[in-house]
Amino acid sequence: MKEDTHLIMRPTEVNPEDYYVSGHRTCAGCGAALGYRLVLKAAGSNTVVLGPTGCMYVANAHQFLTSPYTVPWYHTQLGAGGPAGIGTAAAFRALIFKGKRKNEPVNVLVYGGDGGLADIGFSGLSMALSYDYEHLLYVMYDNESYANTGIQASSTTPFGSSTTFTPSGKVKPIGNERMKKNVALIAACHPGVKYVATASISHPLDLINKVRMALASGRPSFIHVLVPCPKGWIHPPEETIEIARLAVDTGMWVLWEYKEGSFSLSAKPTKRKDIKEYITKQGRFAHLRGNEEAIRYIQMMVDREWENWEEMDRTKKLIVPWVPSFQQ
Amino acid sequence: MKAAIKKQMWTGARAIAEAVRMADVDVIAAYPIRPYTGIMNALASMIAKGEFQAEYIVCDSEHSQFEAVKHASAVGARTFVGSSGTGLIYGTEAAIVTALGQLPVVGVVGCRALDDPGNFGMEWNDALLFRDVGWIMAWARDPQEALDMILAAYRTAEDPKVLLPHFIALDGAAITHVASPVLPPDKQHVEEFLPPYKPLHPLDPKSDSISKAMHVAPSLIGPEQRKVLDVAMKRAKNEVIPQAWKLWGDLTGRRYPAFMDAKDLADAECVLLTMGAYSKNLEYVVEKYRGKNIKLGSIRLRYFRPFPAEELKEAVKDTKAIGIVDFSYSLGSPSYGSILYNEVKAALYDMDTRPLIMDFIFAGGREMTIPDLDQATNLLIGAAKTGKNAERPVRWMTVRGEDI
Amino acid sequence: MVSSELEDLTWVAIHGRGVLNTAQASQIASVVSQAGVFAGRDASYYMRYDDSPERVQLPLIYYAVLGNPGIGIVLPEEVEPVGNIFDAVAVLDSSMLVHPTSQRALLLDGVKQESSLVVNTSLKADLVLKLVKKFNCAQDWDGKVVTVRCSKYHPNLVFGMIGALAKVLEDQIAFDDVVDSLEALGQKSDAIAAVKRSHKDAAPMRVSLRAEECDPYRLKSGLVERYRSICASNGGPWDRLKYMELKQRAAEAPTYELRVECMPRWEVLAPGLIEFNQKPGERNIGFKTSFARSFRPVQDPRLCINCKLCHIFCPDGAIDFDPISVDYDYCKGCGICSTVCGPKAITMVHELKALEDADEEEILTIRRALIEFAY
Repeated sequence: MKEDTHLIMRPTEVNPEDYYVSGHRTCAGCGAALGYRLVLKAAGSNTVVLGPTGCMYVANAHQFLTSPYTVPWYHTQLGAGGPAGIGTAAAFRALIFKGKRKNEPVNVLVYGGDGGLADIGFSGLSMALSYDYEHLLYVMYDNESYANTGIQASSTTPFGSSTTFTPSGKVKPIGNERMKKNVALIAACHPGVKYVATASISHPLDLINKVRMALASGRPSFIHVLVPCPKGWIHPPEETIEIARLAVDTGMWVLWEYKEGSFSLSAKPTKRKDIKEYITKQGRFAHLRGNEEAIRYIQMMVDREWENWEEMDRTKKLIVPWVPSFQQ
Repeated sequence: MKAAIKKQMWTGARAIAEAVRMADVDVIAAYPIRPYTGIMNALASMIAKGEFQAEYIVCDSEHSQFEAVKHASAVGARTFVGSSGTGLIYGTEAAIVTALGQLPVVGVVGCRALDDPGNFGMEWNDALLFRDVGWIMAWARDPQEALDMILAAYRTAEDPKVLLPHFIALDGAAITHVASPVLPPDKQHVEEFLPPYKPLHPLDPKSDSISKAMHVAPSLIGPEQRKVLDVAMKRAKNEVIPQAWKLWGDLTGRRYPAFMDAKDLADAECVLLTMGAYSKNLEYVVEKYRGKNIKLGSIRLRYFRPFPAEELKEAVKDTKAIGIVDFSYSLGSPSYGSILYNEVKAALYDMDTRPLIMDFIFAGGREMTIPDLDQATNLLIGAAKTGKNAERPVRWMTVRGEDI
Repeated sequence: MVSSELEDLTWVAIHGRGVLNTAQASQIASVVSQAGVFAGRDASYYMRYDDSPERVQLPLIYYAVLGNPGIGIVLPEEVEPVGNIFDAVAVLDSSMLVHPTSQRALLLDGVKQESSLVVNTSLKADLVLKLVKKFNCAQDWDGKVVTVRCSKYHPNLVFGMIGALAKVLEDQIAFDDVVDSLEALGQKSDAIAAVKRSHKDAAPMRVSLRAEECDPYRLKSGLVERYRSICASNGGPWDRLKYMELKQRAAEAPTYELRVECMPRWEVLAPGLIEFNQKPGERNIGFKTSFARSFRPVQDPRLCINCKLCHIFCPDGAIDFDPISVDYDYCKGCGICSTVCGPKAITMVHELKALEDADEEEILTIRRALIEFAY
């Protein structure tokens, strides 16, 4: 099977075939499901997929005789996304090298959530990025929570978001007080890594192209894709794409790629929209209404970081953005 | 004569590494912890020198280690892994999923006392933690047997009637770090004994497209999936393991009884029972007591899972008393006994006449000395004289302080 | 599965849309069970476990049970309770009238005779009955239908529903106990007033349905024997062919019980938790998701410019690439396609209008719902 590596410019060039097909028990408007669909369209049918536990495991089966995958697929534990990909890629390499399998490469894709890859499986992911297996891609679908267990905070839950572990109340008006961990930036800091990118389901062609570039990069790669979640972010299901787009347009989510040591932004909003436009569309931030201090802080956080992102784009080098934490 | 010349002085670590090489393993995942690390060191060295080809993954933790080989096995690679003590426990989730997903991973447990506190001494609890979930578990007596068992493990695990992962447990440093004479088998014998690993449904776009381990609703399926494992374990016990050792004996001349080894059992009134390397001490004591005309015998279990209950019942049907020399503990269990003791008791429960059973717990990693064994033996003999039920059948050995 | 021999239980099933109605269904169930406790009975309430985690739009059921069922109540079990046990079936979203629940059960499965169907809708009771006959009943049923236009009574549909439920259950639960339980749960006077009004206005309509009048019944009978001939008990581990036959047959089973009967024996399972995949381009015959829809996208071909954006952005992949067309077996009605369509060629139409040309005056599925904290 020939790998599909060509980059697309128009929606009409999208691969019409799906490898994660209709017929799964995901929420109406599920961002993670759309991410899965697009990533697999990009990777093609010559792909083995490993699925850590999460929404994209439980919601995609949940019964029996109901698999929606058409490419080889294997579950893995929540914290095991990293070694699952490595073990799979190692097996193919060993079998090919020893002549037990024909020398035809295979894409290995791990599609795991932020809970799995940024928290419990973080060290496994880090190990994976230090290796040299080709055609191995880790895509972290970031719905900014542990969604399958009912929306709990993870280390990528943004400041001010409410989850069942970080509800807002009189004593804790902010909700989640931690700041969002930038996993893609940490991934990019691994020596030898050749391709790291961020993406959003609001920019599907960009996502598809990044997946293809990652798989062809020659080393384990990482893509961090933002996927709004109507249940966890509390918005009508039809607004999923609009919210993903607003994340980019307000600058709260940054689209970039890091190719062999060179950084570039993929989208540079000429004038970033006010973050209020993003926050007011989501019920998980509803408790911030009227909390001008917190909202100002979030805007400041974005503005400060963007000074760094723009500098990175100019210099093509990674800089670690730093923002002071919220003082109440 | 020739055989003696061909024997090598190998540590257990080296012997096992040689077995892994002979088995043409494809993927190895390594993470260091005493005392099993030597095996991984030996393998790394062999690979670096070109003596053997395999993917060798240095992992970030034991959890990753066991996950990596599980996934490699799903693709169709022959795999090898291992750990000890608290490290093995760190990989528990991954190890359990491997068994429940029926992947024929072969691993070594260098048995080591569990933390806390840190302790390099030998206890079986680390390996025995997995006794319920579908791993086949064999205990090797010395580096020679460890080598032979590794090869038999691949054959057993990969048999389509079985497809269960397989541990070879070693009594810690007593095997990994001690060199003894080992006769490596002929390459041709190994090839006859161990066919290549060809899973029926590998995870490969070149093969039939499959989904493995989908989430299920138990009203639809659930118990059925567990039952498959139950039957696999039974097939391992009744067909695959005995056939493997018979073939091994035919090929190499090294004949092992499949499940149980015994010494002076025939007319023994009292029997000591254990697993692994310390069986040698038991045999030493048996000889000593036989020299004094005391009818003592010993049994060594080669497999803990599947547990050889039938063989054991047959072996002790005329015995008055069995003493379990147990390097485990099972706090709060019936009679406050230990794991092997509880298993033996359960195995012998439905005999019409049962021997009396005593438990000699050697927990905490302290070496068992011959005087300790003498003490245990004397307690056993004393109990046998008095009759059916021993007073205080469970004894903590080597502990300073009162055994309350 | 629960035996229907447990006579002295009062059992209420509350059907809603996942996430959007979760909190409301939970509140209704808690008030009903609390009222039972004040009446001196034992009580419990819970979401049918298989509906958790709740997913947006995917149907869920809350049960409230008064009395002591003796056994570990129906538990974490996905299987519909067996036998006729429900005294009342409440439906919070009228689009659920034209779809089965997620386990292929029907809204009226398990209803006792003389039970009530309470629906949050602006439609009249006789139209509701017509829809039930067509989509959600497969048995004889003598009972009552009550329609409640919940928005009339309170922004939160809970109070309209409780008033109506209290009316139809007045033989089992005293209205005073309902009011007491509302107060005990911290509800204020406006809520209690809403419940009282809804209780007063509730006008149960007597109905008498025969199974033969109901489409689902006609569909089912004749299929039962075919499924009884066991799906897959022949011999050893399945291969792809046997697996797909089984998958197809299980998918076609008209009831959950028949589907369970199709399930393979352990001897049939391929070792290692292996299932076989369908081919790219096919959709999942094992799990159709039309039951999730409250609205459906309707495409105007005159406006469509064939840009493919709706195909790209559908999370369920339910829109074919060429020609652009919606597969209504799988569309969940999330509405994303209509928001991304540049020329606005896609309109979202309520299921009732699309199927029955019935107009729902207000669509009351609350769009910004609370996250259910009890898990």
